[in-house]
Amino acid sequence: MMQRYFSRRDLLGRPGGGVAGLAFADMLQRERAGAALLDPLAPKKSHHSGKAKALISVFCYGGVSQMDTFDPKPMLDRHAGEALTGKGTVTVSQGTPGGLMPSPWKFAKHGQCGMDVSDLFPHVAKRVDDIAFIRSMTTLSNDHGPALYQMNTGFVGAGHPSMGSWITYGLGSENENLPGFVVFTDPRGGPIGGAPNWGNGYMPAAFQGTPFRAAGDPIVDLTPPKEVQGERQRKWLDYLGAMNEDHRKRNPFDTELSARVAAYELAYRMQTHATEAVDLNRESEETRKLYGLDEERTRYFGRQALMAARLVERGVRFVQIFSGGGNFQESWDAHWDIKWNHETHCGETDKPLAALIADLKRRGLLDSTLILWHGEFGRMPISQRMDGRDHNPDAFTVWMAGGGVKAGPVFGSTDEFGYRAQENKRAVNDLHATVLHLLGLDHERLTYPHLGREMRLTDVSGNVIKEIVA
Amino acid sequence: MRLFAIFLAAAAIHAEDLATLAHGVLSKNCFGCHGAALKMSKLDLRTREAALAGGERGPSITPANPARSSLYLFATHQQNPAMPPGKKLDDGDLDILRKWIEAGAEYPAQQLTQKEQEAKAAMAAMEERPITAGERNFWAFRAVARVEPPTAGNPVDAFLRATWSQSGLTPSPRADKRTLVRRAYLDLLGLPPTAEQIRVFLEDSSFKAWENLVETLLASPHYGERQARHWLDLVRFADSGGFEYDNDRPSAWRYRDYVVKAFNSDKPYDRFIREQIAGDELDGSPESLIATGFLRLGPENNIKNEMTRLDELDDIVQTTSLAFLGMTTGCARCHNHKFDPIPQKDYYRLQAVFFSTKSDSLPLVDAEIVRRYNDETRRIDAQQEPRKKTKAAIEKPHRDTIFEENVAKLAPYMGEAWRTPAEKRTEGQKLNARQIERTMKIEEAEIVARMSAAEKASHAAEVAAIRKLDRQRPKPYESAMTVAEQGRDPIPSYFLHRGGAGNKGSRMDAGILTVAAVDGLPTIEPPPGATTTYRRRNFAEWLASPKNPLTARVMVNRIWQRHFGEGIVATPNNFGRKGEAPTHPELLDWLAAEFVRSGWSVKAMHRVMMKSEAYRMQAGDIEANRKIDPTNRMVWRMPRQRLDIETIRDNMMAAAGTLDLAVGGPAVLPYIDPALFQSSSKRTWNGRPDTDRSTWRRSLYVFSKRTIRYPMFEAFDQPDMIASCGRRNSSVTAPQALLFMNNAMVRMHASHFADRLRKEGADPARQVEMAFQAALARQPSQAELERSTAFVERTPKGLLDFCQALFNLNEFVYTP
Repeated sequence: MMQRYFSRRDLLGRPGGGVAGLAFADMLQRERAGAALLDPLAPKKSHHSGKAKALISVFCYGGVSQMDTFDPKPMLDRHAGEALTGKGTVTVSQGTPGGLMPSPWKFAKHGQCGMDVSDLFPHVAKRVDDIAFIRSMTTLSNDHGPALYQMNTGFVGAGHPSMGSWITYGLGSENENLPGFVVFTDPRGGPIGGAPNWGNGYMPAAFQGTPFRAAGDPIVDLTPPKEVQGERQRKWLDYLGAMNEDHRKRNPFDTELSARVAAYELAYRMQTHATEAVDLNRESEETRKLYGLDEERTRYFGRQALMAARLVERGVRFVQIFSGGGNFQESWDAHWDIKWNHETHCGETDKPLAALIADLKRRGLLDSTLILWHGEFGRMPISQRMDGRDHNPDAFTVWMAGGGVKAGPVFGSTDEFGYRAQENKRAVNDLHATVLHLLGLDHERLTYPHLGREMRLTDVSGNVIKEIVA
Repeated sequence: MRLFAIFLAAAAIHAEDLATLAHGVLSKNCFGCHGAALKMSKLDLRTREAALAGGERGPSITPANPARSSLYLFATHQQNPAMPPGKKLDDGDLDILRKWIEAGAEYPAQQLTQKEQEAKAAMAAMEERPITAGERNFWAFRAVARVEPPTAGNPVDAFLRATWSQSGLTPSPRADKRTLVRRAYLDLLGLPPTAEQIRVFLEDSSFKAWENLVETLLASPHYGERQARHWLDLVRFADSGGFEYDNDRPSAWRYRDYVVKAFNSDKPYDRFIREQIAGDELDGSPESLIATGFLRLGPENNIKNEMTRLDELDDIVQTTSLAFLGMTTGCARCHNHKFDPIPQKDYYRLQAVFFSTKSDSLPLVDAEIVRRYNDETRRIDAQQEPRKKTKAAIEKPHRDTIFEENVAKLAPYMGEAWRTPAEKRTEGQKLNARQIERTMKIEEAEIVARMSAAEKASHAAEVAAIRKLDRQRPKPYESAMTVAEQGRDPIPSYFLHRGGAGNKGSRMDAGILTVAAVDGLPTIEPPPGATTTYRRRNFAEWLASPKNPLTARVMVNRIWQRHFGEGIVATPNNFGRKGEAPTHPELLDWLAAEFVRSGWSVKAMHRVMMKSEAYRMQAGDIEANRKIDPTNRMVWRMPRQRLDIETIRDNMMAAAGTLDLAVGGPAVLPYIDPALFQSSSKRTWNGRPDTDRSTWRRSLYVFSKRTIRYPMFEAFDQPDMIASCGRRNSSVTAPQALLFMNNAMVRMHASHFADRLRKEGADPARQVEMAFQAALARQPSQAELERSTAFVERTPKGLLDFCQALFNLNEFVYTP
């Protein structure tokens, strides 16, 4: 897949990408000088000083309905049951299109900014002054798989590095004892498209997302069998280290061999650190309640959100949490009975989301942590299967909080029914460019060579949405 | 078309007139249902392309052949459904249609205004991108020039020696025999040598000992397995289709086994190419057809439309160019290649080579079994039908009641739409009423709950009868994935400006990479009765031509890379300007020429490379050389490479004595922790437990599912099988270490390793010696022996811990 072979050495000579014109000998010189260059995830300099140091993405897989959450459309009430006309051919992803369907929820204005939020998000509604909403997002595909890949990797096809890979490739990680890029999936299943959603594509495996479990050991194979734990494993590592040292003497300049020795020590430390990072018993009762850990409905997502806060606090660069999994009603994919569907999924996430904003703020981390809330597309203003909504790639709402975002304003708008983005229409590339910008990365300079091209997360387009940057 | 024009001149009808007449007949009688407003059976007859592409009943027109054109057969009522419904065209109209199809079924040219004509000409001009002499003169596009080696002896050494002396490099000394035997086994078989195999080589003191070893390995059935793994990376092989459904491909392994056999039998590489691109157009043997399954290996979108079809073709064009030619062509889908002389038109000519192919299945059983399968399926369907009708009749009254109750629960405007008489419904009400009618789901259990006891009994009887018949359904017969085409005439394809499906330019003929044209595209005509266009055959002939400047160079470079860690061209999939230039161009050309001269024998290439002194050098560093050539591009030592993860896993089981060395057959599914994949109704992994010996097969046979990757492979840079991979990444991460430290499967094999040692030797020192032999193919040094024995004796489970430690050694996972 890769054209030119890049060892860690090469990568390390590429601060944040762009083919550095460093002579190989020079790189070796620096290595010999003892620079901490063994770890591909070592912190790297950003392109510019971004406020955000970390990103938490809450991916509402299946697609959230904009007109039922953050984009009220009274016209739907006025024209209930009427055909959607004057908008060209209405393309549905499946089934038979129905007439316009009013939202089953009430909207009210909230916060200083007077943002409209529906009854579905009572807790998030209290945090709107910390949030920047974009109502005019669009994507290319109305099919889950391609739309998920686009949101996570910038391309509708599989095989490209995910946003987390790009970010850890560009910035490294602040905590060498933890993975730089962590993924939590929903207990009901993973998203369509599977592992490529957090895959490293053509980049080295060091940049792939590490799936974390919300219960038990956070990482598979993190903990050794009981009888090996402690002293016995330490002795084992010492023996291994001594043997490897003999072997390394024959190739004293081969940093890959040394890196592998270092990786074992890191893995050893990770066993302790990762366990500690997700140990929620270390949090106060008040904090646990804030995230809804005392309620059945919010417990799972609440645990993940609190773990995300703790991981970011410990220097993890990117945490992605999937809300919703599997198929249809297990996810936000409300093809029918949207009332049950969105009440379920909003009910599980609303309180923990608001808690995440509040908690990061009091930990002093909100300024340096960007929270991105999004799905892979929006939903239709017309009915599907009588009381549901179909996929809609032409309009959806995403929001961001913290991390250098200008909170409060609403950016962009949709037409009178929420069918298509109208003012300030933006594409996924623009969203990615903005996220990278907030993290101090220039999306046009963050490149990686593949098949003869310098590839980007944003492919060949994308503009930073300056209006929501503080 | 020229032939037909002559025929028509004789008949005194101009082709244009005929086209106009036929268009008139179609427009009057057919377009109503197969045109702008409606596309019944998904058929649109308004354009030639659409008519040829056809609808649910397949292509409607086979140009020049009315008897094979369903449009004509339906219109003449020779076949059902007779068309148009309820009437028959008069003989005059039928005659026009017949002559028109015979003449090639051309549609009338659209009358263009001057402005349109100018615009069209301007667009056509944009398609042209001439290639300059300078571009043709780039090293990779020049003909292979065989230069004789500067000195006698092994040609590889002769060429390398010249560069060493020029640069003042000292070649690394020869490695010892134990290092060499392990290196050769790992390179050619991907397996460690056994104690016995090591002994045979060490005791062979003849001057032919090395040669004998190489020959033994080349003759091993495991040689093909190892080489197949490299090839499968190039053709992004997987056992599932990717995308949303990621459907399993239960017969994909047949292509994998074909590749194993091809390498084992040293199938000439030019033949290997022809079979994969055009096996159906060669001899049509099952082997060739399975090989052509190459065209089916890519990811397959569950959504089928023009765009996804173009994406599939793009994947085939790109993979073919990368794997066989080492050229990136993907950029030329939307514009002329920015770095290489690959015009966009070349891309669409390559696309035209594959445009007419469609998926096909090759039964691998007797025709009789296929016939019986079809007969049985029809019988069961027929017997179920009346049962299903009866069952539906019993359900109907209850279903209707529940239906009305459910409507009453909907939003008021929905109920109103439903109650409004059909003819009075507004547009919105029509949509909503139709939606209610089509999408109201009522569970069978809910219906049954409302039935009387008598109804329940008869309903249950029907259900039982239907199920009983289902159980009689025959098992699907064995088949392989391959391709077919619809006939000798290609489906027209077009230049697409900016890659957009809607921006059609000129119609494209099949073609090749112009810059590497040699003698142009061969012109083998499809024989009488051919059911394909022979475009792929001709393309394959060009690919496999000894004169093709890329094919042989690209392949010998890959073989070199497998032995020396890095290719003579360091970018094996990019021989273009953005790739690396060859470090030893004369050696590359000598190898390419020798490859062709040997009859495209891959094994001959292994021989010439492995018998060199260069291959037998030590891997250790030489500090003086590093100052001159720190990256070893001049090949003054054997570089240390991390083994691919498949080889690491195979070596682990081989050392443990647990590896099942059976060759070929369906893929196996080892255990994956459910936390690492999330099963849903669409994707699942039914892994067998680690203790199940059926999973102790070589890693080549582990089921490769595109969206559920085997965690160990994924962690160690196995490519994602979405695009061709010419060289794997080799990253070093903590999760890799965790896996080999704590994973239960790794520990289980370590435990088997320990048991094996205990059985063979009671004394810890002896056990350590045997373990070193099994895992590293060498004896421990005195210091290693003492340290290891002490470690083994320290705790009751010391031997197990020691065995597991061996799997984690750098020496174990890096080439010697």
